[in-house]
Amino acid sequence: MAQAARMVGGEVDLVEHYYERGFSDGLPVVPPTPEKIDAAVSVLGGGKDFVECRVPPRWGNLTREVLAINMVMAGCRAEYAPVVRAAMLALCDPHFNLNGVQATTHMACPLLVVNGPARGEIGMNAGCNVFGSGNRANATIGRAARMMLLNVGGARPGDLDKSTLGCPTKYTYCIAENEEASPWAPYHVEQGYAPEDSTVFAIAAEAPHSVTNHISDDPEGVLDSVCSAMSTIAHNNAVSSGSCAVVIGPEHAATISARNWTRNDVKSYLWMHTTNTFEDISFGHRYGKVYNRNIPRWYRREAGERVPIVPGPENIHLFVAGGEAGRFSAFIPGWGHMTNPVLRAIDGKAPRGGPVCVDGACLL
Amino acid sequence: MSDVITGQAVYDPRGAVEAEARPISERVAALKGLKLGVLDNTKWNGRRLLEKTAALMEAEGPFAEVRYYKKESFSKNAAPDLIARIAEENDVVLTAIGD
Repeated sequence: MAQAARMVGGEVDLVEHYYERGFSDGLPVVPPTPEKIDAAVSVLGGGKDFVECRVPPRWGNLTREVLAINMVMAGCRAEYAPVVRAAMLALCDPHFNLNGVQATTHMACPLLVVNGPARGEIGMNAGCNVFGSGNRANATIGRAARMMLLNVGGARPGDLDKSTLGCPTKYTYCIAENEEASPWAPYHVEQGYAPEDSTVFAIAAEAPHSVTNHISDDPEGVLDSVCSAMSTIAHNNAVSSGSCAVVIGPEHAATISARNWTRNDVKSYLWMHTTNTFEDISFGHRYGKVYNRNIPRWYRREAGERVPIVPGPENIHLFVAGGEAGRFSAFIPGWGHMTNPVLRAIDGKAPRGGPVCVDGACLL
Repeated sequence: MSDVITGQAVYDPRGAVEAEARPISERVAALKGLKLGVLDNTKWNGRRLLEKTAALMEAEGPFAEVRYYKKESFSKNAAPDLIARIAEENDVVLTAIGD
C-alpha cells in the first residue's frame, strides 16, 4: 500500500490543496489515491522505494512511488508507466544534460517521441493533430514528465527554471511516430532496434515550426521548403550547433519516397542545403568576434563559408508523423551542442547488435 | 483520530533529496599579492565581461598572477581535473555567465 505523506480532513478540496502546496503545473491535478499509485508501481515491477534516477537540478530521488504519484496527478493510466519511466531515464541520462535543459534561459524543453508496438498498446496518437490536444496517452505522458521535472527536478519558473520566455510545450510535448503511414523504416529501427522493440526518444527542442509546401511533386522541392525553415540565424542550432528534429508529414513523405529517396537521402539533402554563411551568424563581426565560439572547431570561420546548422546528417533526427491529408511537415530546432538526444528502449535493453538495415541498405 | 478515519490521504510528489550542503570558502580580506584564476565559460560575452572585471579587481590588487581557464561547454560542469588545477594554482577565482 502506498504511504501517504499525511492525512487531511474529508472536507479539504484536494485539487486546491495541491495548488496550495505548489505541486501543480498550473492546471488542476488528479488527486492520487493509494489504489492508483499501487497500480502504477505494480506495472513498474513493484518495489515502490526503488530509485529509478535522480532528477536535476534539485536532484530529487525518483522512486517508483514518486513516479507513480506524478503519473496519477498528470492523469496517466497505470499502463503508461513503462513509457513514462523510459522517458525519465532518457532525460536523466548524463548525455542529455537535463541540468542545463531545466535551468537555461532558452525556451527549449524535452520532446518525447515513442516508437514501436507500445504506441498502439497504450493508444497513442501518431496521426491527425499529432502535436496537438485530444489524446490521453500523448497528453498525460508528456504532462507526467513535466510534473516530474517540476516536482522532483525543482524546475519552478523563476527559481531553478530561468527560461526567459518558456514555451507552451512545457505543459506536454510527446508524440508517436506514424510508422504505419511512413514509407521508411521507423526511427528506432534506423538506430539499431528491431521493429518489435519499443523506444522513447528525447531531444531538448523548441516548438515545431510549420513547413508548408503544396506545390512540389519531387523530393528536392519539398525538402527545399524544410531547408528554408532550417536556414535561419535565429534558432539555437545556428549559433550552438547540436541536434535538431524534422517531422515529415505523410503526404510529403509519399512524394519524397515516390522517387525512391531513403531516410539517409532525406537527412543528407537537408544537411547539405542549409545555407547559413559564417557572415550571417557572425553579423559580419559588427559586434566583435563573439559569435564563433560555440560552433564546431573544424568549421571555417571566414566570410562566405557555409556553416551547417548541425555537424552532420546524423544530427538531424527524422520522423514521419501526422494525419493522412495535408502537405505539411515541421522543423524542430534543438537546444544546441550542450545536450545530446537520447534514445532508450522501454524494456531498458540495448539495440540487438549486428548490421543495421534500413530501407534496403545495411550499415556495417 | 477522526481526521484519519474520515480523512483523505495526500501525497508529496517531490522525492527526497540526499545531497549534502557544502559551505563555500570564506571571503579573502584583501586581493593584493594573491593569485587570481579566471574561469571563462565560453558564453557569448563571457570573456569580455571577465577581462573587464579582472581589470577592475587588479586596481584593488595588484595580483601576483592572473591565469585564464576555459570550460569545454558553458552549460556543463567544469571537468573535475580542471577544477582541481584551478584550486591548485590560485588563491581566488573569478567566473561569470556573460550571456
